[in-house]
Amino acid sequence: MDYSRPELSDRLAAAYVAGTLRGPARRRFVSLMRSHPGLRRAVSAWEARLMPLTTSVVPVTPPPRVWQTIEARIAPANAGAAAQPGWWAQLAFWRAFSGVATLAAVSLAVLLLSPPPSQPPIVVVLSAAGGVAPEGGVIPASFVASISADGRAMVTRPISNVSLQADRSLELWAVPPQGAPRSLGLISAQGATVVKRGKVLDNTAALAVSLEPTGGSPTGAPTGPILYVGKLVL
Amino acid sequence: MAVAPQDWSEKSRDLSRLLARAGLGDRAAFAQLYERTSAHLFGVVLRINRDRAQAEDVLQEVYVNVWRAAQSFDAAQSQPLTWLTSIARNRAIDSLRRKQAEPSLLSSTQPGPLSNDSDEERDVYDDVADNAPGPLALLSQASDARALSQCVEGLSAQQRQSVALAFYDGLSHAEVAEKMREPLGTVKSWVRRALLSLKSCLENAVVRDVQAG
Repeated sequence: MDYSRPELSDRLAAAYVAGTLRGPARRRFVSLMRSHPGLRRAVSAWEARLMPLTTSVVPVTPPPRVWQTIEARIAPANAGAAAQPGWWAQLAFWRAFSGVATLAAVSLAVLLLSPPPSQPPIVVVLSAAGGVAPEGGVIPASFVASISADGRAMVTRPISNVSLQADRSLELWAVPPQGAPRSLGLISAQGATVVKRGKVLDNTAALAVSLEPTGGSPTGAPTGPILYVGKLVL
Repeated sequence: MAVAPQDWSEKSRDLSRLLARAGLGDRAAFAQLYERTSAHLFGVVLRINRDRAQAEDVLQEVYVNVWRAAQSFDAAQSQPLTWLTSIARNRAIDSLRRKQAEPSLLSSTQPGPLSNDSDEERDVYDDVADNAPGPLALLSQASDARALSQCVEGLSAQQRQSVALAFYDGLSHAEVAEKMREPLGTVKSWVRRALLSLKSCLENAVVRDVQAG
């Protein structure tokens, strides 16, 4: 079948989301979705259309044991959950690791192939975390972080007006694919901030900005809401 | 973008924040997310897979997956409630498949919707809580979705019933056909036309909103 035909993709996506696509056809569709962005778009559009129909379903509070099991399963490896394999045995880790390894390899290739003066900085656009897109469908970007190609220095700059209470600071975090974010220090809500923290790009999947008390997070982990997030895409 | 009803988007705004924090490894935020969404998702799952123990397993899988995938959630692409509900529905539908593949796990008091004891005229909804509304009632009650409910009104009675049985109760085309005592081909075309008509109706509603506002 030619899945690039829009009507066909749309019909299959509708049946998938409505739940009538079953058995082998459903499994085939799921694996096709991974390589066909068009199918994924059609599916998201149908999900946006049909999921609000579930607002009328009577909620049923699950028994506490469900949360207890979930909590145990997502507990960090050192919390001793016996059934939980170590981080090194988890697929997610290796996926993330191979992602980082690819990123590193590509960065290295870029470094080797391009003459030093023309190395373009890497630009990460941070937009409001969890922002729901207004009518236009675009969440306005709020910060831009330019990182030198060698990952040693970064400059952040607010794009739109960021108003901040006097007793609050903005703190920048490097978010690894897995694990706790690392603080990159405080950044200015008004002007450019130069961040020099060694290898900013190492093991970083995204940058995030959180709202913290003056002077930054007292705990070393984000305590306030995450205001802006930008994924590192090479 | 503005297809989703108001309530849905408002609830979603808070959830986006929790999901973003869960994506950064914040367990407290994830616990809150569970608190606010699990009853909705459990309700949705339980309608599709009426076996409580299996529904609990499905719910558990859903949240473990959400925790692992929270970082990849993109608020610009979809709303959290839409994302979460879709994951839950897909898992629930997959669990039906497994259930059919492992008949020995079926409890004897809960014949699957495909079982043929039609003499008994057993209602498919017997196993749902007594006062739970049927799928058709749900379809007309999904009403904080104003545009959506208007669009649902525009469907023929058969289209409405076939879509409701498939969507809410996770029945396959064949099961809907059996339930409605109609030929399979007819049911398939009702469902397909109903979905197409909802789509074009919602698209027109968005155009009307844009023109009005």
